[in-house]
Amino acid sequence: MSTPAAQHTPDGAVAARARGLTKAYGSGETAVIALDSVDVDIARGRFTAVMGPSGSGKSTLMHCLAGLDTVSAGQVWLGGTEITGLRDRELTRLRRDRVGFMFQSFNLIPTLTAAENITLPMDIAGRRPDERWLKQVIDTLGLRDRLRHRPAQLSGGQQQRVACARALASRPELIFADEPTGNLDSRAGREVLGFLRGAVDDLGQTVVMVTHDPGAAAHSDVVLFLADGHIEDAMERPTAEAVLEHMHLSTGGHPQTPWFDAVRGRLGDDDTDLEE
Amino acid sequence: MLKATLRSFLAHKGRLALSALAVILSVAFVAGSLIFSDTVTHTFDRLFASTAADVTVQPQQRDLRSARVSGSVQTLPAALRDRVAKVDGVAAARAEVSVQNAVVVDSRNRSVGPTTGAPTIAMAWHVTSRSPVRLTSGRAPRGAGQALLDADTAGKKHLRIGDTLTVQAQPDTFRVRVVGIATFTTTNPGAALLFLDPAVAGRELLGSAAKATSITADAVKGVSDAELKRRIGAALGSGAGARTGTGTYDLKTANEQAKSAAASLGAFLDVIKYVMLGFAGVALLVGVFLIVNTFSMLIAQRTRELGLLRALGADRRQVRRSVLTEALLLGLVGSTLGLGAGIGLALALIRLMTAFGMNLKATEMVIGWGTPVSAYVVGLGVTFVAAYLPARRAAAVSPMAALADAEVAGVGKPLKVRAVVGGVVGAVGAAALAGCAAATRTAQAASLLGLGVALTLIATVVAGPLLVRPVIRVLGGAFPALFGPVGRMSQRNALRNPRRTGATAAALMVGLALVGGMSVASASMSASFDRQIDKNLGADFIVQNTNFIPFTKEVRDKVAATPGVGLVVPQRLSPLDVRLPDGRRVRTSAAAYGPGLDDVVHIAYARGGSAAALADGRLAMDAGFARSHGVRVGSVVPVEFPGGRHTDLTVAALTDQDTTDGFGAQGGLYLGLATLEKYLPDAQDSVLYVNASPGTRAQDLRPRLERALRPFPQVQVRNQDDYKQLVHDQIAVLLYLVYALLGLAIVIAVLGVVNTLALSVVERTREIGLLRAIGLGRRQLRRMIRLESVVIAVFGAILGLALGLVWGVCMQRVLALRGLTALAIPWTTIVAVVLGSAVVGVVAALLPALRASRMNVLAAIAHE
Repeated sequence: MSTPAAQHTPDGAVAARARGLTKAYGSGETAVIALDSVDVDIARGRFTAVMGPSGSGKSTLMHCLAGLDTVSAGQVWLGGTEITGLRDRELTRLRRDRVGFMFQSFNLIPTLTAAENITLPMDIAGRRPDERWLKQVIDTLGLRDRLRHRPAQLSGGQQQRVACARALASRPELIFADEPTGNLDSRAGREVLGFLRGAVDDLGQTVVMVTHDPGAAAHSDVVLFLADGHIEDAMERPTAEAVLEHMHLSTGGHPQTPWFDAVRGRLGDDDTDLEE
Repeated sequence: MLKATLRSFLAHKGRLALSALAVILSVAFVAGSLIFSDTVTHTFDRLFASTAADVTVQPQQRDLRSARVSGSVQTLPAALRDRVAKVDGVAAARAEVSVQNAVVVDSRNRSVGPTTGAPTIAMAWHVTSRSPVRLTSGRAPRGAGQALLDADTAGKKHLRIGDTLTVQAQPDTFRVRVVGIATFTTTNPGAALLFLDPAVAGRELLGSAAKATSITADAVKGVSDAELKRRIGAALGSGAGARTGTGTYDLKTANEQAKSAAASLGAFLDVIKYVMLGFAGVALLVGVFLIVNTFSMLIAQRTRELGLLRALGADRRQVRRSVLTEALLLGLVGSTLGLGAGIGLALALIRLMTAFGMNLKATEMVIGWGTPVSAYVVGLGVTFVAAYLPARRAAAVSPMAALADAEVAGVGKPLKVRAVVGGVVGAVGAAALAGCAAATRTAQAASLLGLGVALTLIATVVAGPLLVRPVIRVLGGAFPALFGPVGRMSQRNALRNPRRTGATAAALMVGLALVGGMSVASASMSASFDRQIDKNLGADFIVQNTNFIPFTKEVRDKVAATPGVGLVVPQRLSPLDVRLPDGRRVRTSAAAYGPGLDDVVHIAYARGGSAAALADGRLAMDAGFARSHGVRVGSVVPVEFPGGRHTDLTVAALTDQDTTDGFGAQGGLYLGLATLEKYLPDAQDSVLYVNASPGTRAQDLRPRLERALRPFPQVQVRNQDDYKQLVHDQIAVLLYLVYALLGLAIVIAVLGVVNTLALSVVERTREIGLLRAIGLGRRQLRRMIRLESVVIAVFGAILGLALGLVWGVCMQRVLALRGLTALAIPWTTIVAVVLGSAVVGVVAALLPALRASRMNVLAAIAHE
């Protein structure tokens, strides 16, 4: 397997890197390989999209790169730090200080105001936020007059903007966005994608976004296509049409999977249990 | 529907287990107390029934405890035996001598009697088939100076045949040699028994061979007890209760005798029963909150599921019934386990009684039909009542809830109804308490207090959720500054669902309110008694029996003969029946003092003085009591002493004391010792007030007094500080009970907090996952949950203590009407309870916090 993203790094700097990254769930006969010896470099200062059908391992890849999940084999670096083999406390600190997160939904702590949510990772760390940077982020995302609101008082788009601000606030080395527009209408979704784009272009941040939406992927600098635990391809300067066409080809001409993916996401048919 | 109910019950068994524990605890206390008292009653009924003679003739007993008060034993002529024996149908008659006012001391001046309050009984040795003991070694006592001892006492005090004992009886002190050991063939009720030869028992124990304490008769075959009683009654006079000479006799058949003996034991059993039922009550009261909360949370959690059931066509009644069925299942399981636990508790109590010398056989445990019935009524009733409101709420879930992505139901609902109900009930309760504080009559104040306590408790429980926001804002106000974002989140989490926080804290609140009130009352009592002792007691020393019963007259002689003793003022007590000018008859007890009273006790007089009061044929009385019964100085009141001796006493002084009622005596009556001796010559001293002679320092006198009193282990020398300590210790018994109740309330309250936190953790799984993802450490997460728990617990404690303080102050107002005027608030206790409640919070958070911190971050984020 090649490392397609590496050759596109403009200045050669890498924000995150994986070598031989393998993730298996279960063991023995019933083991499911989610990632199969993946090598990937995430270029610093760029907007990388990760696409793939459901079960292709795209979310697992992101979780492993972000230190949320343990790997079965291989190595992962964040900047110059190897994160494979770190203990929970070190991983927690790493996520807190060096990574920003945006999830599809339930991004904010309901008891905290927008402002408190934005500075939460730094508050947890006991660090004072950089006021000028914070002001810039808040103004860029247009949240100035929403700071004292609780999440319940914000629209879905506004909530994702707060999440975006939180991810940016501590000026992390890497921002991971997991389907950030999945729960938004198209206008609010475009807005959030615009902010992520701006974070890369204007603020010099590094963003990795997992998505199934070709339109969302088109906002990125490079798209990595995952299938069956492998990186199959990469596409520079993608357009929605080019991404869609690529998906047609790789799924035998029927772009069904993303649609299924979306339906799955809404029904929430995971084997979750309220009672545990 | 039943299937769905059963599934749901089993699915939530973990959560229900905590509620079940509350049911189990309360049922266990109810069942345990019933089984215990049934067992003891049954055992003693059998003991008394098997040992009572067919017919017993006794002096008429106006007051069963008169001997314990005055030390005087009521007797009848021993010659009565011969008249009884001649009655047709009497097989055998005996003149019994049995007294409880003697103290038996071994050769090393140690008391042979039990130290637990059970009596030492010295009696004549009659061998009958009804005797509770059998001679097992040695021989029967013959003549003076010989005695039998019961085997249990001999074993406990390491006494053997041949040992010498000193018997301090009312007439005189004498020595006996143990010549035999008698063993109980029935249950040993814990008393120490000393048997003397019947030929000498009357003279040794009663001062005259012509006296007896009762005559017992056995019937010949074919004559019933009732028939024999009638015949003896006829022979002695005009039937039962016939008047002959100076005394009046009571005749009792074996059954009646057993019943009256059992009745006197009943009072002791009732104390244990009420204490146990008190525990059951607290467990129930606190348990109800736990159950209500559990069901509310289960239903909130299952809103979607219930909505789906409704959407699929289940009607409201079915949903409600389903929830109530679940509650009944819980009650059934809880009651059954509680019944089992109750049997264990009764066993433990029986063991405990054995440790106190009362040999109840655990194998003879009696479980009446009432026990399981009460257990199930209590268990099922409580769960049903507690689950009713949540069940109604469940039925109100709309079918749309199945589709809505709503957060947990019940969070945002306004608390208006609670505000109105809580406000109104609270206002009425506060008014009742204010009325209690302002009342001038004890009965009125006490009933207002009860009403006020009940209403303010209800109001606080109802309005609790409304208080959550303001109180926790203040309580947790420093959290963000102290603990950063973790503190902020825990404070906000506690505020998140005021209903739930309020209900969780209510469990702790109820317990602590009771404790707060009782501790204020008991501290005030202690302070009041201290003040009275300081004010009234002038004596250097007080010589008194450890359990306040009278003691032999030799003690007075020994004290008076001790060098350095100046003044000795004896006090005797006597039950007294007083007929007042307003026509009322009052059964009370009067004190009698020797001369010199003013030097040892400071009495405030409204009219007259000590000299007048203690003069021959005179009487002193509380001024307030006198006023309300139309008594004035110079009034002549007819009185009756034990033994039926009547006389008229003239009121010569009226007192104006803080307290009028001590030890159950009404009216504050007292008279001269000489007057009492005329009518109750064989009464014993119950207190000696002792002053050092001029030139002798009190601290020098004390060791001399103690040395002089060494042969009398039952009496103690106390100075004023010791006396205060004694009073404090007695009040402390009440406090220990309160602390035990507190412990129980805390155990259940902890279960409630654990319950709430565990559910909150589950509900906030995604939030916790998110927090962990963006960098909240495990330890920080645990601290967040711990702080939330602490804030809930401290909230409950503060609410409870505030309520308890108000109650306590009102209780003190009621006590003040009885002369206990000091108000003391035990601040150290209160601060300790608040700190303790924080610890309770930490303990309750242990498991939920551990569980939260162990959550897999990814699984938590994906949790729905």
